[in-house]
Amino acid sequence: MNLKQSLFVAVTLGMISLVIWELYWRNQGLEPNIDDNKNLWANQRARLENYDEKTVVFIGSSRILYDINLDIWENETGTNGIMLAAQGSTPIPVMQDIVENTDFNGTLVIGITPPLFFSTINPKANFVQRSQSLVDYYYNRTYAQRLNHMLSVPLQKNLVFIRDGDESWDSDVDLKTLLKQVHWDERSGPRYPPFNNFEEITLDRRMKMPEIMVKDTAYANTIKKVWTTILSGDNPPPDKETTTNTFVDLAKKFQARGGNLILVRCPSSGLFKDIESKAFPRAQFWDPLVEKSGAKAYHYEDFPELTNLFLPEWSHLAAEDAEVFTRVIIEAMKKDGVITNLKSN
Amino acid sequence: MLFNSLSFIVFLVIVLVLYYGNILNWINRKRMLLFASYIFYGLWNPPLVILLWISTVVDWIAGNKLSIEENQRKRKMWLLLSLFVNLGFLVFFKYRDFLLDNFTSVVNTYGYGYKAEPIDILLPMGISFYTFQTMSYTIDMYLRRTEKARTFLDFALYVTFFPQLVAGPIVRAQDLISQFYEEKKATINQFIWGLFLLTIGLFQKVVLADTLLADTADTVFGSKDILNGLDAWTGTLAFSGQIFFDFAGYSTCAIGIALMLGIILPDNFRYPYAAIGFSDLWRRWHISLSSWLRDYLYIPLGGNRHGIVRMYAALMITMLLGGLWHGAAWTFVVWGALHGIYLVVERMFKNKIHIKIGPYNGVILALVTYTLVNFTWVFFRAREFSVAKNIISSMFFMNVEGSKVLDSFEIIKVLAVISILFVCHWFMRNTSLKEVSFKIPSWVLGVFWAIMFFLIVISQGSGEQFIYFQF
Repeated sequence: MNLKQSLFVAVTLGMISLVIWELYWRNQGLEPNIDDNKNLWANQRARLENYDEKTVVFIGSSRILYDINLDIWENETGTNGIMLAAQGSTPIPVMQDIVENTDFNGTLVIGITPPLFFSTINPKANFVQRSQSLVDYYYNRTYAQRLNHMLSVPLQKNLVFIRDGDESWDSDVDLKTLLKQVHWDERSGPRYPPFNNFEEITLDRRMKMPEIMVKDTAYANTIKKVWTTILSGDNPPPDKETTTNTFVDLAKKFQARGGNLILVRCPSSGLFKDIESKAFPRAQFWDPLVEKSGAKAYHYEDFPELTNLFLPEWSHLAAEDAEVFTRVIIEAMKKDGVITNLKSN
Repeated sequence: MLFNSLSFIVFLVIVLVLYYGNILNWINRKRMLLFASYIFYGLWNPPLVILLWISTVVDWIAGNKLSIEENQRKRKMWLLLSLFVNLGFLVFFKYRDFLLDNFTSVVNTYGYGYKAEPIDILLPMGISFYTFQTMSYTIDMYLRRTEKARTFLDFALYVTFFPQLVAGPIVRAQDLISQFYEEKKATINQFIWGLFLLTIGLFQKVVLADTLLADTADTVFGSKDILNGLDAWTGTLAFSGQIFFDFAGYSTCAIGIALMLGIILPDNFRYPYAAIGFSDLWRRWHISLSSWLRDYLYIPLGGNRHGIVRMYAALMITMLLGGLWHGAAWTFVVWGALHGIYLVVERMFKNKIHIKIGPYNGVILALVTYTLVNFTWVFFRAREFSVAKNIISSMFFMNVEGSKVLDSFEIIKVLAVISILFVCHWFMRNTSLKEVSFKIPSWVLGVFWAIMFFLIVISQGSGEQFIYFQF
């Protein structure tokens, strides 16, 4: 046996196969993509260790991640945004981390998505685990993990088949994810429809709704189908008292050390709006939260110019509409003196 | 640092360039390997390198003293010091909470109402491996089975050599230290074969264990429901494959990487799922640990030299402690106990029934052995006895109406992988990968290699830890 020959065959065939694989996925319309994963979050969390008077921190769920355009925010306010919102999760574990493990006392903007925020504080619940796992990862990540992330970024930026998503909704094209999409039957119960990708994020977590979601209604409808399945499932009732009280305790601690707390309710439409207005009526959930926390608060329904924004899949704003939302909210905050324009100062 | 990570690829390339770059002499290359090994370990958690240093320094001193000391009482003291430090690390980091929990339970049965807060201490990666390896040196020195390491550098490299530092093979001093005395360089064929073994190891870990089997095992063992028999069996078989591919994958990577440096490490697995009986299984599964337990526990406990009862007792104690070595939980002890019972029963039968093993009854016996091994894996994988009990009862098809948590495709996928695994082990049981490779044309090996490489890259394991790192 000639091992050199074997190696030559292996390298040649291996590389050809990979090139074909890459071209295949490009041919399917995929482009290189950075995934919003725990490493991106941890890198932003690390920035909070060296905050200054210009630092503004955003926490919450995916809505504030999509709906606040950080470029506009920074440009209009002269501040530096740190985006710590986490998709599909409650912000309470992140809030707890900021209040208890840092001395940050600047502006903290919290996006409130009622079905997630008022769900529970049970550490075993998915919505809590997801954001808690990000906090834990930040504290526990090893130098090797940091190095792996650094090395994977150029690959993610240039190769379609290299993805690094943590969540089941990340439309990765790795072998495991592809095999998971094979369903011969529903022996273990009904399956979720495919959750197509609708995120475009930068390394410093500036999220934008991809254009395909605006231009291709059929594509956007696939996401609506997923939401419909999730929302029609057997969801536990909200735990309003505990979530509100836990949050208010943290808010008071933060405000006591001089922190500037701002609550933002981002828009929703369609099925989300229907369910949220019925299951989480503003007067019973949002208003008491604002009153008890003593935070300055902005609800999109209070701004006529924000009521007709376009949410391609009912829950997150299209990129252009996110710009509008950000500008209107900033104006309102400036008017109230909640934030000052550090740039003009 | 994990073998299945991008950082390791960069690390290995740098090490190989420095090793073969003709810029360092042999002593400096060994220093470089030692430094690289500390980097390899420290990138996970730098302060825990200190434990490695303490273990190294204590055993180096103990070994030196044992090599010159003639007074038997003093020799024993030096050995005890080494055992105290290494086992002390293990007890403190691995078994402290387990012991505290059990102490609390026992005390509270007498109504004392004692409450102890367990300290959530990070378990240093691979501590069970390097402590056992370094202890073998002092024990062998005490028993005058091996010679003192020539230099501290050779000894430190023996304790810390990065390919096998965190999950073995647990190598004996005489097998590894002496390889550091003379300049080592892999031949071109050794280097390529090492690269091939590294690819096979990564394929086992990334593709077979993590991509094809892990999720099924997680779904089944993570389910709170009473499961349907088919699901319970599929989950257990998936775990039996996962644990093998994960651990054998690590060992194969370690052997391959060492070979690329011209260092030869012993085999750790020899197609264990084709074992006929349990003595055979333990000659094929985690060979470096089972031989360690045989030499340093079973034989000192009397082995088979003091009658049948003492032999059975020694076997049971060895397997119980072997179980506990894997993890600080009673489920691991039960896993060890089951293997102990299997071994005892097998020896009892062997004394009375003599079966001539042929190819037909052999495969049946191998299948029976593998089936019985699967029952032990339930206790190894289950975090709680209630889960193990439910799965075992489902495996006996006592829960016909149990929940179905797996789709048909997942079941077929696992059964296909496990069937191929078993058939491969059976046909390979009396041969080796190298022998088979020599019999096939080079291009066939190249195609096989390319397929593995391609599947590893498209699987893109996101750096899943090896299961045995936690042991």
